[in-house]
Amino acid sequence: MRYVKWAVWGTIALIIGLFLHYTLPQHDVVRVVGTYQERQDLTDWTRIFWSSPDDQSGTLANRDVQFIQTIRTNGRPMVYRNEDTGWSWPPYFKFDTASLQTEADDLRSTAEAPKWAVVTHYGWRNELISIFPNAVSIRPVEGPDVTIIPWFNIFFFAFLLFLVVLARQMWLQFRERMIDPALVDAGQAWDSVEARAHAARKGARGFFGRIQAWLNTWKAKK
Amino acid sequence: MIGFLRAIVIWAVAGAIAYFILRIYARSLRREALEKEWDADPKGDAAARDAFIEKGMTDYEGSLRNRLLLIIFVLPFIVIATLLYLVNYA
Repeated sequence: MRYVKWAVWGTIALIIGLFLHYTLPQHDVVRVVGTYQERQDLTDWTRIFWSSPDDQSGTLANRDVQFIQTIRTNGRPMVYRNEDTGWSWPPYFKFDTASLQTEADDLRSTAEAPKWAVVTHYGWRNELISIFPNAVSIRPVEGPDVTIIPWFNIFFFAFLLFLVVLARQMWLQFRERMIDPALVDAGQAWDSVEARAHAARKGARGFFGRIQAWLNTWKAKK
Repeated sequence: MIGFLRAIVIWAVAGAIAYFILRIYARSLRREALEKEWDADPKGDAAARDAFIEKGMTDYEGSLRNRLLLIIFVLPFIVIATLLYLVNYA
């Protein structure tokens, strides 16, 4: 039973962790090498990893998506998609896809004369199922070893902690003020029910006992 | 445009739920504080206690602290506006 409990909690923690890891912004230091636009199929299950912009029919089978090709500081390639999130999930409210593509083009550089930039993005890159993180913003930085402080995530987790503590306080208050008194009431009610049942049993014993006693009077005396 | 309206409605509903839950919680805290205040220094019988608490709660309903909770309704929209600005224009 203990293992089942841990498995359930572990699964819940894993799902929440994956969800946050996918949705929260992350920063990469990269060098932009190019941008391109490619028609993407939207009909299979990986549709959930493409965004659904507001100005697009929900029944589209495919559409053009913009991409930003980069090389990271460790020399590995990273390709971002560049899509509006619009008003839908995740709530980045990104509408400046075309501007971002322009900025990325402007930062294009070669390995010999690299221009480093920080790309803020969310999402995952997976070659196997062809999914790409969505670039949210890009800004040039001095060099490849800049320190990035993830302010948003700091505030977000502080707020999340605050919410968890608040929810716990609310639950404790609710239990103290509503459930515990109700249990006391129920306990008292149950006591009175038991008392009545007890009295009734006693009465019954008395009544049937008296009948029994009366019947017994008809028995032959031994 | 539909997406915009949907987002507004969803965040407004979330704000409303948060507001009502917090309102109940804050009132519960206030009532408990009033009870403790009376019990620390009782000035009468149970009826006087009830009257004291009810008066305290009526005063609380009109208080600034209670009205400040309404900020929760506005909060999602402040966050959205800030994000919109930071993501697209900063």
